[in-house]
Amino acid sequence: MNIIGQSTPRLDAISKVTGEAKFPGDLNLPNQAYMKILFAARPHAIVRRIDTSKAEALPGVIAVFTAKDVPVNEYGLIMPDQPVLCGPGSSKPYTDHVRWVGDQVALVVAETEEIAAKGRNLIEVDYEGLPLVTDPQNAMQADAPVLHPDRGSNIFCHYRIRKGDVDAAFADSDVIVEGEYRTPAQEHAYLQPEAGLGYIDEQGRVAVQVAGQWTHEDQEQIAHALGLPLEQVRVIYPAIGGAFGGREDMSVQIVLALAVWRLNQRGINRPVKIIWSREESIVGHHKRHPYILKAKWGAKKDGKLVAAQVEVIADGGGYAYTSTKVLGNATLMCTGPYEIPNVKVDSYAVYTNNAVTGAFRGFGGPQGAFEAETQMNRLAEILEIDPIEIRRRNLLTEGSLLSVGTPLPKGVSLPQVVDRLKVESSRLKDNLRSFARLKAGSSTANPSASSVQALQPHIKRGIGYGAAYKNVGFSFGAPEQSTAIVELFGAAEIERAIVHHAGADVGQGTHTIMAQIAAETLGIPLARVQMIVSDTAVTGNSGSASASRLTFMAGNSIKGACEQALEKWRSEERPVSVTFQYRPPRTTPLDPQTGKSEPNFAYGYVAQAVTVEVDTETGHVRILDVISVDDVGKAINPQQVQGQIEGAVVQAAGYAVLENFVQKDGRVLTDKFSNYLIPTVLDVPERVQSVILEYPDPIGPYGARGMAEMPYLPFAPAVIAAVHDAIGVWFHEFPLTPERVLRGLGKL
Amino acid sequence: MSLNAHPELPEFDYIRPASLMDASRFLAQHAGEARPMLGGTDIFVRMRDGMWHDQYLVDVKNLDGTDKLHFDPQAGLILGAGVNMNRVMVSPEVQTRYPLLADACRSVASYQLRTRATIVGNICNASPAGDTIGACLVLGGVLDVHGVNGYREIPLAGFFLGPGKTILQPGDIVTAIRFPLPPQGNTGVYLKLGRNTWSDLSIVGVTVYGYPDASAASGYRFRIALASVAPVPLIPRDAEAYLSQNPIGRETIRAAANLAAESCSPIDDVRGSAKYRKAMVKNLTRKGLEKVWESVNRKA
Ligand SMILES: Cc1cc2nc3c(=O)[nH]c(=O)nc-3n(C[C@H](O)[C@H](O)[C@H](O)COP(=O)(O)OP(=O)(O)OC[C@H]3O[C@@H](n4cnc5c(N)ncnc54)[C@H](O)[C@@H]3O)c2cc1C
Repeated sequence: MNIIGQSTPRLDAISKVTGEAKFPGDLNLPNQAYMKILFAARPHAIVRRIDTSKAEALPGVIAVFTAKDVPVNEYGLIMPDQPVLCGPGSSKPYTDHVRWVGDQVALVVAETEEIAAKGRNLIEVDYEGLPLVTDPQNAMQADAPVLHPDRGSNIFCHYRIRKGDVDAAFADSDVIVEGEYRTPAQEHAYLQPEAGLGYIDEQGRVAVQVAGQWTHEDQEQIAHALGLPLEQVRVIYPAIGGAFGGREDMSVQIVLALAVWRLNQRGINRPVKIIWSREESIVGHHKRHPYILKAKWGAKKDGKLVAAQVEVIADGGGYAYTSTKVLGNATLMCTGPYEIPNVKVDSYAVYTNNAVTGAFRGFGGPQGAFEAETQMNRLAEILEIDPIEIRRRNLLTEGSLLSVGTPLPKGVSLPQVVDRLKVESSRLKDNLRSFARLKAGSSTANPSASSVQALQPHIKRGIGYGAAYKNVGFSFGAPEQSTAIVELFGAAEIERAIVHHAGADVGQGTHTIMAQIAAETLGIPLARVQMIVSDTAVTGNSGSASASRLTFMAGNSIKGACEQALEKWRSEERPVSVTFQYRPPRTTPLDPQTGKSEPNFAYGYVAQAVTVEVDTETGHVRILDVISVDDVGKAINPQQVQGQIEGAVVQAAGYAVLENFVQKDGRVLTDKFSNYLIPTVLDVPERVQSVILEYPDPIGPYGARGMAEMPYLPFAPAVIAAVHDAIGVWFHEFPLTPERVLRGLGKL
Repeated sequence: MSLNAHPELPEFDYIRPASLMDASRFLAQHAGEARPMLGGTDIFVRMRDGMWHDQYLVDVKNLDGTDKLHFDPQAGLILGAGVNMNRVMVSPEVQTRYPLLADACRSVASYQLRTRATIVGNICNASPAGDTIGACLVLGGVLDVHGVNGYREIPLAGFFLGPGKTILQPGDIVTAIRFPLPPQGNTGVYLKLGRNTWSDLSIVGVTVYGYPDASAASGYRFRIALASVAPVPLIPRDAEAYLSQNPIGRETIRAAANLAAESCSPIDDVRGSAKYRKAMVKNLTRKGLEKVWESVNRKA
């Protein structure tokens, strides 16, 4: 192997640095018009009347569109429970209901952005307010107002796991740990707010250039809402400024296509452009789900887990988005990477009038892991067993049975990962010990400048651990495939290879990985590989850039296509063209009564140690050292792997201590970066050591596993454990804002 | 109500008057629809957010000496209204004689912002969170104000009426802030508490300044100013008086910090609760007093 395993420069590095790369907001076409969206800006209401006459009369306004202009007024990745535009005039019942502040009500297309905004402000809407449902536990009650009257209940998903007999096992346990945990909403905060350009392309298709995570899914959602055949819709992704799951659902895709298409029907053939402001972006797309997790775990004196019972409630916001899939993950992850003979899980996703919630790096894993790992860390404390050792005694390993009653796919490396963490983290423990000696005055070593500050009595330090596993690819029976097209040109040797692939490079560098896999498989230099990407007109369906799946799925499809192409090449075919669809082993849905299932076909494994410093006067938590041990199977591009580990750690650090998404009565109070803070370079952990392990996945391309979400999962609970080690307080809720920490210390 | 009333700056007229008198007259004639502008770092945010709707922004930088920073060994320091914070921070006179001013400026946002933001703008914006106001108060700042009837002086201590409200009248322009010569042996600190390491607005900000003073019973004079804990930048007079009357030591400092906390009336917002703010005033005032006390002693 000479290309795989190399940190080759990213294909887009130069164009991104020079500014040559075009993001959706940079695209312009002659004669384009501009669009603004009227958002509902109220969390629960019925739209009684919309009067667009004043807006339409404004000079420069080209058109105003409302619900009555949407042919099939519904969409949704998992279930079509959301109107494209809320208001009267659709045949589908209840599409005049607003269920969240970011619901879209009307579109204004105008000569300039300013006129579009003015026109938007001239639209008159009469709303009839409805009672608010903002507490998910209240939303589950029988007498709660129902957000979707056609469904009869706010609970839109319920999974069960029943394995063994938890009650008998609890009775037989030496120790029981219980806790109620809450996790916060989180904003994706990608650099590039939603934007796009819609137009009718040269073949008469409705084309949209946007930033998304799955071109072919966007295409389907648009075609469905517009009542058009798939081939009539084209979706293209230019450069994408981050996604993290936040672009998995629709934002501007459908409405841009709708506007272009309706204008065209009126004889107006003009491109339409939209760019959201940061405020629109923060309010207008979904957040990470807040969860409530109630756990009861039982163990023997030696630390062996015997039973776990968990109730999981996800605040789904006004619409399903990907909640049911996120919940599936949390249902599996809420018992941690441990083999537990008796398990009972009930998990629910619930509609509320809070911000809609959906995909976000880790996809339910971080929420489940927070509860599971904190339970484990507390158990270690109670039993006075080293937190790494207690994990070692319970870890899932080759052949162990999951909570859902089936073994993991082959290639389980958790024991190796955790053992390596033990070795690597011993120096952190040594540091803490010598720090404690210095502080107690029993050492004569010269303290470094930064630790002089820390020697003050109100500064405390501690260490915490976490471990996790996370699926690669779609789970629980969701159809899973990825398609690659490879063409080879040349005479004696392959002079050029063209790879067509839809997989979205959201900033993670996947196109570079794809090219590396193609070059390696074909045995040609990287420079001979040309990528044609992310355009539904010229690529096959790749599936989404999510679930840590692209290296694995796109990689396998490209590897398969290249292998077939090589065969043809060797039998003298010139030029060669191959379309190859990769299908991984089948997964199955949770059995409705027992949860028995084959949840996933591949996993990645991770363990982390984190040290923190807590200022007990102000409550500030500073993260000092992070060691992240990740089994990635094979690092196709080690530098990109390291980038993903560090990126995940920084984002998870924001989640754990800083990012505080505040909603009140269904309204978002933190709709800007001056009040929703994300980590700056001064807030990130001081040192992050990425330990990359390569235990191959038996079916991964060149052994690669997915890895980009995994380091997210154990991080928050490791921080919580480190803070406990420092100040002796367990937090069941985060982010660990200074105020929450002081309250925990009993100082407020 | 619209979710997004503020994606773009509304149209306005940019006025560049020839003299201070022209500027004052224009502002007086257009009371309610015109405002003076320095760096614009508060103005443009408010206008974009749809909170302010002024038709005219009157640029008062560079008018009749407003861009001067001047130190006079007899009279003290004059900071022209148009002097941006980065200039204040690098001034050798400020660094040697009024280092507290430089520290306060350093706590404001970022280098980029400070190339436009001014101390006078921070004061006239009259936000209780203004990070440089505390230093100006404890250093005894006096404003030079030009109005339709010419110049007058306003001591900073009586300047603020409420959030965003000052005693300025239409047509009034602050042209400079002046500081007397600092007393011998003084020390000051500014302790800013944000949610992150740097660049957040203050959850609370505590300025402490002290120097030996034979006329005080304790032999010392301490000045304290508190940000983000009341409708206006707050001077906890009781705490200051307590420190001038009682022998300085750990217990006096602790008691004074309690008095400072009791004098505030903070609110809850997304950055912090009233309760947290009060607790932080106590901790940071104590910490600030200890630091200043230690340093004043070292100098003595
Ligand atoms: C990204 C960002 C971060 C910020 N961070 C901080 C921070 O950390 N700490 C902090 O304290 N502030 C912060 N601010 C607020 C702001 O930068 C400061 O208040 C700054 O000092 C204002 O100065 P300016 O010269 O820009 O004022 P301007 O915006 O020009 O004016 C502010 C106000 O004063 C009035 N005014 C201006 N000049 C005069 C005059 N000569 N006479 C009478 N009235 C006048 C204006 O009409 C206006 O009402 C931040 C702002 C931004 C945009």
